[in-house]
Amino acid sequence: MMSDRLRAFSGQIIAVSVALLMGAIIIILVGESPVHVLMTLLRGAFGDQEKIAGTLLQTTPILICGVAACIGLRGGMFNVGIEGQLFLGGFAAAWVGFTFSLPAGIHTLAALALAVVAGAAWVAIPAFFRARYNTNEVVSTILSNYIAVLLTSYLTIFLFKRPGGWSETPPILATAYLPEIFSFSRLNWGLFIGLLLAVGVALIFRYTSWGYGVTMVGSAPKFAEYGGVNVKRQGFVVLLLSGAVGGLAGGIETLGVHHRFMEGFAPGFGFDGLIAALLANGSPVATIVTALFFGALRSGSLLLEVDTSASREIITVIQALIILSVSAQVLIRRRGDSQAGERRWKF
Amino acid sequence: MEVLDKLVNVALIAATLRTTAPILLVALGGSFTTKAGIFNIGLEGQMLVGAFFAVIGSIWTGSAFAGVACGVAAALVFALAFAVLVVTFRANEVVVGLALNILAGGMTISLMKAIFGTRGSIVGHGIVGLPKVQIPGAQALLGSWAPLISGFTPIVYVSFVAVPLLVLFYNRTRLGLYIRVVGEKPEAAEALGISITRVRYIASLLCGLLAGLAGAHLSLGYITMFTENMSSGRGFMAVAILIFSNGDPLKVLAGCLLFGFADAFSLRLQTFGFPSYLVLTVPYVVALTALFALSYRARPTIIKETLASMQKLLSVDRNSAPADRNPQ
Repeated sequence: MMSDRLRAFSGQIIAVSVALLMGAIIIILVGESPVHVLMTLLRGAFGDQEKIAGTLLQTTPILICGVAACIGLRGGMFNVGIEGQLFLGGFAAAWVGFTFSLPAGIHTLAALALAVVAGAAWVAIPAFFRARYNTNEVVSTILSNYIAVLLTSYLTIFLFKRPGGWSETPPILATAYLPEIFSFSRLNWGLFIGLLLAVGVALIFRYTSWGYGVTMVGSAPKFAEYGGVNVKRQGFVVLLLSGAVGGLAGGIETLGVHHRFMEGFAPGFGFDGLIAALLANGSPVATIVTALFFGALRSGSLLLEVDTSASREIITVIQALIILSVSAQVLIRRRGDSQAGERRWKF
Repeated sequence: MEVLDKLVNVALIAATLRTTAPILLVALGGSFTTKAGIFNIGLEGQMLVGAFFAVIGSIWTGSAFAGVACGVAAALVFALAFAVLVVTFRANEVVVGLALNILAGGMTISLMKAIFGTRGSIVGHGIVGLPKVQIPGAQALLGSWAPLISGFTPIVYVSFVAVPLLVLFYNRTRLGLYIRVVGEKPEAAEALGISITRVRYIASLLCGLLAGLAGAHLSLGYITMFTENMSSGRGFMAVAILIFSNGDPLKVLAGCLLFGFADAFSLRLQTFGFPSYLVLTVPYVVALTALFALSYRARPTIIKETLASMQKLLSVDRNSAPADRNPQ
């Protein structure tokens, strides 16, 4: 058991190293020195306390989106629409933040609650059709991302634009802010919410019969159905919960960091979360580590853009290479086992 | 009536054909993988690298057709990577497809920054667009309807000619039959001695070929520039079409015309002062609605199939039950 896990872990490390090597080659092709890029990334991610706080700030939405993806993956559902749920949740939280005036604390909770509802509502239609008529959820959630981004832009610019502002809503009231942890950074309680969520979801999967049922549906749906699990309803609930957590990620980003909703406020966090969850093999606790890794990459890439001629999207390339080499490592490790690749990412 | 005349006219139909071409090509490409039993969500990325390298090739060589070749070559590399990982390594096709899409997005932006030092888009720099084909005699024959058959770039013609060719390919050629068998009954294919691996590789590469052409059309035909993520979900819409058409070329054509029309119509609406953000959602909303509506319609067949398989299962059980009781 333990050696199995150890082997899985070392396999992951090898895959990441191979991807980094390929990334280094691409960096050379782009005309930069890999060592310089790596040092810049490290300096940008961990250079001083502000940089470290910045890394954690980037980690927060990736972690929460990663947990959202984990919930889906465990239940055998690819929620690729986390990006859209994040945008809807972010807008919903901002709307509560600038429309109502409530006592501090309650205001934050109300805004987060609506963010959760918005995220769940946004995935409800694809989830319904996936559960009832087996409509491919990958395609429907991807397409709904495009609509979500355009819809929130429309709401922001045509209905709720800050007078005199560019493409952003009015700022939310201070009563709805998520408290900041340090004075020198926008790092906020959202990080703690994310960590609690990751551990909580892991415990639910490990110790509750509901969590066991979800994992069972994800790994062996026929067996689960035979065992008395209502597979369809559970698939629906799993996607809904995943969407709700995606919406929460958006709400936390709005209330903790930007204090308003603006066009394109959190690009790519949903996809980063999905990749982090895949790299963590669908384990919420391991997602903490992978989210931190991607958060550091993202944070470091900001300095990369300033200090080198390379584009910050180079880290997107590295992330994609990591996932590709992780998916390929199975064959290298178990040449004889032709089923190994199919088993990976069937939780 | 006047408004309707302004909205729906020859120019709109011609625009529909122009917007249909890229999505039709990429969907026809995807029909190879769909028929071969591979769920290929990586179409979007193949299209994007096709568009980017078509522009690069066009700038370097000064020839639009060499540019198209470059775009197709790049898409083929992505298709090959997809095939290696999915067919040989048997990795999860959704994960690999999504990762390749993300790779395509990051790579094109990084390379754009490295080569041109800019973000956002490549305009000018000596990009040579595809020439428009004027069909001789079209004007004399059709008068004001001539724009319906004349004045498109060559890739538009290729995309529409490809539909009947693909129908023939699937029904009349050995390879087409092999692809279908591999997709529908892999066990049967194996029993016949068909190499599933080889057929799936061929299907993936044919898919990359058409996806690359579709991308080249976006950046050299439709408009003459490259912008970040310019495929803007067309690859995903193609996958939606493939799901409800099951990769049949004629159904693919019908679905693509619907999206092409939605695309052209939404562009037209924009000029009437509708908020552009809402108008831009139209193609995606149409895609989702079609996907949901058609999966709802497919429901009776699913139920019938389930019943049939259950009956089979039960009858098998009944036959085998006595045998179980009397173990020989």
